[in-house]
Amino acid sequence: MSRVPTAALSKYLLQGQVSRQGCLRLTRTPQISARAIALRPAIVSSHSRNLHTQTTETPLSTPSPAPAAPSNHVPLRKQLKDEAKKAKAAGKKKKKNATNQVVPGWELTVGIEIHAQLNTARKLFSEATTSFNDESNSHVAYFDLATPGSQPHFQKETLIPALRAALALNCDIQPVSRFDRKHYFHWDQPSGYQITQYYEPFAREGRIILQPRDGIAAEDGDGLAVRIQQVQMEQDTAKTMAQPGETHWIDFNRTGVPLIEIITRPDIHHPATAAALVRKVQILLNAVDACVSGMEAGGLRADVNVSVRRTDDPNTPLGTRTEIKNLSSFKAVEDAIIAERDRQIAVLEAGGVIEGETRGWSIGSTETRRLRGKEGEVDYRYMPDPDLLPVVIGDDLVSHLRNSMGQLPDAEVDELTEVFGLTAKDALSLVALDSGARVEYFWRVVESLQSKLDSSIAENLACFQMAANWILHELGRLTSNPHDGSAQDLGFTSDGECRRVPVDSLADIIVFLYQHKITTKVAKELLWVVYRGNVPEQYSSVTDAIETENMWFNELSEQEYAELADQAVEDQEDIVGQFVDTSRQYPQGKLMFLVGRMMRLGSEERIDPKNAESVMRRLLEEKYVPALGR
Amino acid sequence: MSTHVRHFRSKIPSGVLCSLRLRRTPPLRLASSSLPTRTNAFIAGVDEASLPPPPDASQIRLAVKDNIAAQGLPTTCASRILTGHEVPFTATIVAQIEQLLGAELWGKTNMDEFGMGTHSTNTPYGSVNLLEGRSAGGSSGGSAVAVGLGQATVALGTDTGGSIRMPAAYTNTVGFKPSYGMLSRWGVVPYANSLDTVGLIAKEVAPIQEIIHAVCMDHDPKDPTSLPATVRERCVAERQYYPSSRRTPPDLQSQGLRGLTFGLPIEYNIEELSPRIKEGWMQVADKIKEQGGRVVPVSLPSTKSALSAYYVIAPAEAASNLSKYDGIRYGKRASASASAEDSDTTSSDALNGILYAKTRGEGFGPEVKRRILLGSYTLSSEAVDNYFKQAQRVRRLVRRDFDRVFRLSNPLLENEHGDGSDEQQQFDLSDMDESVPLESKLGPTQIDFLLCPTAPTTPPKLNDVAKQTPFDSYMNDVFTVPASLAGLPAISIPMALPKSEEDPVDFGGVQLIGQFWDDARLLAVAGHVRSKQQ
Repeated sequence: MSRVPTAALSKYLLQGQVSRQGCLRLTRTPQISARAIALRPAIVSSHSRNLHTQTTETPLSTPSPAPAAPSNHVPLRKQLKDEAKKAKAAGKKKKKNATNQVVPGWELTVGIEIHAQLNTARKLFSEATTSFNDESNSHVAYFDLATPGSQPHFQKETLIPALRAALALNCDIQPVSRFDRKHYFHWDQPSGYQITQYYEPFAREGRIILQPRDGIAAEDGDGLAVRIQQVQMEQDTAKTMAQPGETHWIDFNRTGVPLIEIITRPDIHHPATAAALVRKVQILLNAVDACVSGMEAGGLRADVNVSVRRTDDPNTPLGTRTEIKNLSSFKAVEDAIIAERDRQIAVLEAGGVIEGETRGWSIGSTETRRLRGKEGEVDYRYMPDPDLLPVVIGDDLVSHLRNSMGQLPDAEVDELTEVFGLTAKDALSLVALDSGARVEYFWRVVESLQSKLDSSIAENLACFQMAANWILHELGRLTSNPHDGSAQDLGFTSDGECRRVPVDSLADIIVFLYQHKITTKVAKELLWVVYRGNVPEQYSSVTDAIETENMWFNELSEQEYAELADQAVEDQEDIVGQFVDTSRQYPQGKLMFLVGRMMRLGSEERIDPKNAESVMRRLLEEKYVPALGR
Repeated sequence: MSTHVRHFRSKIPSGVLCSLRLRRTPPLRLASSSLPTRTNAFIAGVDEASLPPPPDASQIRLAVKDNIAAQGLPTTCASRILTGHEVPFTATIVAQIEQLLGAELWGKTNMDEFGMGTHSTNTPYGSVNLLEGRSAGGSSGGSAVAVGLGQATVALGTDTGGSIRMPAAYTNTVGFKPSYGMLSRWGVVPYANSLDTVGLIAKEVAPIQEIIHAVCMDHDPKDPTSLPATVRERCVAERQYYPSSRRTPPDLQSQGLRGLTFGLPIEYNIEELSPRIKEGWMQVADKIKEQGGRVVPVSLPSTKSALSAYYVIAPAEAASNLSKYDGIRYGKRASASASAEDSDTTSSDALNGILYAKTRGEGFGPEVKRRILLGSYTLSSEAVDNYFKQAQRVRRLVRRDFDRVFRLSNPLLENEHGDGSDEQQQFDLSDMDESVPLESKLGPTQIDFLLCPTAPTTPPKLNDVAKQTPFDSYMNDVFTVPASLAGLPAISIPMALPKSEEDPVDFGGVQLIGQFWDDARLLAVAGHVRSKQQ
């Protein structure tokens, strides 16, 4: 079940060590100090401020946004306030998304571009290492700064995660691909162009299958296939950090970090399905270890192209589309599409015309806003990069990566539901959580349980279901306790271990619970003991903790249960009387009342409520009810 | 007006033409320049007011064109926008020559801004001249003059469409452009990467030969277009006169040029070719025949389109390369007060303008601006298919022309037969000039080298240059551009011209072009031809 991590894979691919000949020869990366970078502080005129606010929130290199006209610009907080006011005044309440997937008489068409940061050690065209939140400008090579006279050195290793991503998306890998320059001026782009793959991308014609369990709109029925037009590699831009006043700091650590851009065909017709697609892409990229982080951490961004047309005439061509840039959450994808669809329909119904333009979206708003029209569109003047050789990808590499990919999430979800009987919802959550580390943890717990139980999965299905349940819900409770000051992180690693709750400890707890050697209450206490680090600090193991604290489940004997039941029914003739005629409906509530009395009267830690219930039920039938009749 | 120029003009959209006719400003000298120069050859490192004596025989002085990085001296590409800019590392080729030959770095030489020009007049450091009031050629004019003056033993230049060969022809020196990919471009500020070639200028062929022999096998991992070591070995295995060549080459001293065939490209006999240059060219051909060489006419049918293709490809790459000089990371920012004047512009597109336009408007000279505009147009989405892509096709045709006339095959081409045979691409007789005689039923004679003039005229007067339109000056590159497009080695050596009443200049440049990676043999033969000229 284990997947080969990209880092390990790149070590043994390409003859065990990636060749340092040719353009890959290691050169000392110049350590350019932050001071050197600050030599020419990026002072910008006040006009560029709103342009800037866009880019600071743009961790991924979407083409430099042409600025919104200053007159259009409203600070976010004011915008939100105004909108709330407006909504209140109009007495308008937002429609629930689930019931807002279709507008009768109109068809929506959506295509998506997804940018994802690749999981690589080095930048795309320099030996500088990739980093996250390191000291600013500490990982910068001459080429990253576009130093005149420096040249790009393509890092072959970056192909590995890129190829895995393309394979997970069922793409045709192109034997030859090339890099092009995309030109636009922006201070986060020191060379004045971004190197990307426009004319000849490395992967084409893939597809993603979306199923109902992926969260598609109900209108999409049993599922659909969304075609991928192409996947291309490209450079990320520098990060801009706004400072007080008119100062902007630029961190070139991110310049040249490898990204992939995934471009779908316009095969999506419902907003929820678009969000489901982006979510699925994220899960897939995580599953094949191609991507650094998900949308929540800014490692993934989506641009959506939206158009509408009337459904009355099937021969109508697609409507004019607009592009909404830089959506940073699944919800934003769905909300922005709904808002833009409704805007376009309103414009068309009022006899207007949709202009091809670029629009923006702020989280929580109800309308998209215009960023720039077609006339303000940048002509990127694509040109093949004359310094970069074509990328030639051999069949051997592709087939090796294909064979070492491991199980993809869909197959994994199928296995979890079919073999372990998990619900589709639980199975999907397991696969999606912690960038795939959570399900990896589950597999290791399963392994450990199997060795402890020494019998087949089918015989002990309940035990594995209990494990899944605990891994999803009980572990989640550990970090959701607001009164616990400890680190709110379970510390899952990509190889399926958990720093705070090691695999073996959890497996111990589950097995003891499953075998009724401890009660559920004790099991939950033990989980906290492990989480707080008392195992192994205070107790050498879970077993040791149980021994030391005398927590084994020392259940009452049959005799003791019977005696306890006798005590419980004393002076309860009225209740017992209700069990005389159970032909219409068994008085389960009354039964539980009597069981509750048993629990109160006896020592709770020695009672299994299930067993107490069955003893009480049996004795009522055999002893107490017949006694009434005498 | 020859067909070439007409053809070229027809390729330029009329709207662009108008905007390209910028006002010509008189050459400008830096007001408080510490170089009260006469030749304006040096930008940094050498004070022309007190020139040191020429080097003695044991000393090797290396002059470096100002677009090649040498740590400790500024690298400004003779552009205002890079005033005082220092590249924080040394170009591979500079380090190689310093280390291998013990050469001494002797200063940075003047040039046309970013390499764009034919006369080294597009520079804020004053027009370069060696003969009083005459063009020294461009863009590596300063390097050629440094050698012509005797100040430098050898000078580094760059050749994108003739920028080494042209100055050599105008200064009576030897200028060599090696095969593309032989010398490293790491540390060379790019003008048009796919054409830029580092080359050498010296008084004689020998010092150039020495350097090429020393570095020709060195692959530079820092330059992705530097030919890999394995490919170099494969190329050299099929070539003669390299230090590591397997076969012992014929001794030129004793055997002369026997067995070698030189081609005269008939398409190069253009209207603009000065009669004296033509006469000098024919005299060189006669000398070669005296030496036992064979001289035959050949046809390079794509020559007509080569200049147009060059002036599409080079400006396109230049426009891209020069994007980085925006005043943020690179380039001198235009003064803040000047920017403030325009800052009341309100349209959203002007936002970009405020940040970059002023800097770029002030920092670049008119020729650079012209080529950026040209390149930006030919790459624009509406024009890219008709210009840029079309030019790339022409470029392939130009290379095919060369591959068909040369006896040696191009080692970079896939052998279609896969059996290592030297079978050549067939000529299509329909696109060949009828005046070329056929050698056999397979086609015309195949040759070892092309022999042609470097420039159509002797060095023009700077006053006349100032009156030229950009197109007249582009025309000058007609003989040098084809070898650049094909990445072939080419050398310009001095040739004597018949005496003339009107023009006192009695020398010109004659060019030898060889097949890819035939550099060593080209240098050996050029050295021999040169020795028989003197």
